[in-house]
Amino acid sequence: MPTANGFTSADYKVAGGKLLRVRLHIVEGVIQAITLTGDFFMHPEEAIEDLEARLTGVPLTAAALRAQVDAFFAADVQVIGADAADIVHIILMAATS
Amino acid sequence: MTLQIASPKLQIPWRLLVHGDASAFDNMATDEAILRHVVEGRSPCTLRFYGWTPSAVSLGYFQSVAQEVDEAACHAQGVDVVRRLTGGGAVYHDQAGEITYSLTLPESYPGVPTKVLDSYESLCRGLVLGFARLGLAAQFQPINDILVNGKKISGNAQTRRFGGILQHGTLLCDVNPTVMFSLLKVPNEKIRDKLIAGVTERVTSIRRELGAVDRTAVVQAMIAGFTEALDIELTPGELSASEKALAAQLKEERYANREWIYKR
Repeated sequence: MPTANGFTSADYKVAGGKLLRVRLHIVEGVIQAITLTGDFFMHPEEAIEDLEARLTGVPLTAAALRAQVDAFFAADVQVIGADAADIVHIILMAATS
Repeated sequence: MTLQIASPKLQIPWRLLVHGDASAFDNMATDEAILRHVVEGRSPCTLRFYGWTPSAVSLGYFQSVAQEVDEAACHAQGVDVVRRLTGGGAVYHDQAGEITYSLTLPESYPGVPTKVLDSYESLCRGLVLGFARLGLAAQFQPINDILVNGKKISGNAQTRRFGGILQHGTLLCDVNPTVMFSLLKVPNEKIRDKLIAGVTERVTSIRRELGAVDRTAVVQAMIAGFTEALDIELTPGELSASEKALAAQLKEERYANREWIYKR
């Protein structure tokens, strides 16, 4: 589990999907702030803020991230060009970069 | 997949708007103003065509200006930057090189798939049939593109808000990847030429396919394409005073507002 402090980012092109970008602020292995950007689609669009809020305060482990992202995807939201695993993947990519 | 209109007897009224060029801010504000009126039943379903003066870069709803756009280059070339209501990627809208359409209808419209991904193909069928009328064998390519001879000729983006569907997209008349990449950020300068070559390889235009562009003929072909695909009758109309007023308000509060443009 990464414990680095500071700001980090990553880009990840989903195979057959869209480009995901993430900016993270990490303190002691916990997400302090996160912004997900890219050329994907999400309906409703404003749900992106719920996703970012859910991920804030979450420790950077695959299990903890996956639990939050899965709960988000289980709600009435359509994401096109990336799935739950891609979002967890890019966050861990940024955290370990 | 075809839109299965329950019955032509439904006689759902459709309005046709053939607009000239406007600024990026006016264009995006007008699309949203129409959407809000259509869902409230204050305007009929609408097919609109428009252009961009000055040329502009539009960003998808989830994109970041800082990550996607060379703002200094845009400023130097007099190119506006706007954030769309729709997701998807950054698009360079050239004043001379593009015709844009928007399609606005209620989410409850008969035959429209609930899944956004499925509905792209249904709604894009109007464009595929339109290109056919121009003599171009076009095909829909998921997620949201239309190809001619294996190259992209139209990109599309959809939002569903307030109970309505807004889909807008590009009809590429001319493509200049060198100009495009002078305005967009590239990961590093070393690959700029490679990206330009990539666009030349993957993107085409009506000029490249037909040798010439008759903008009026393109619009007429697309009108016929949508009429056939959606089994509708389009009646030429105008924006209502209420739509114009809302567009002016949305332009000021949203599309031309720095807070919106730099939202992400």
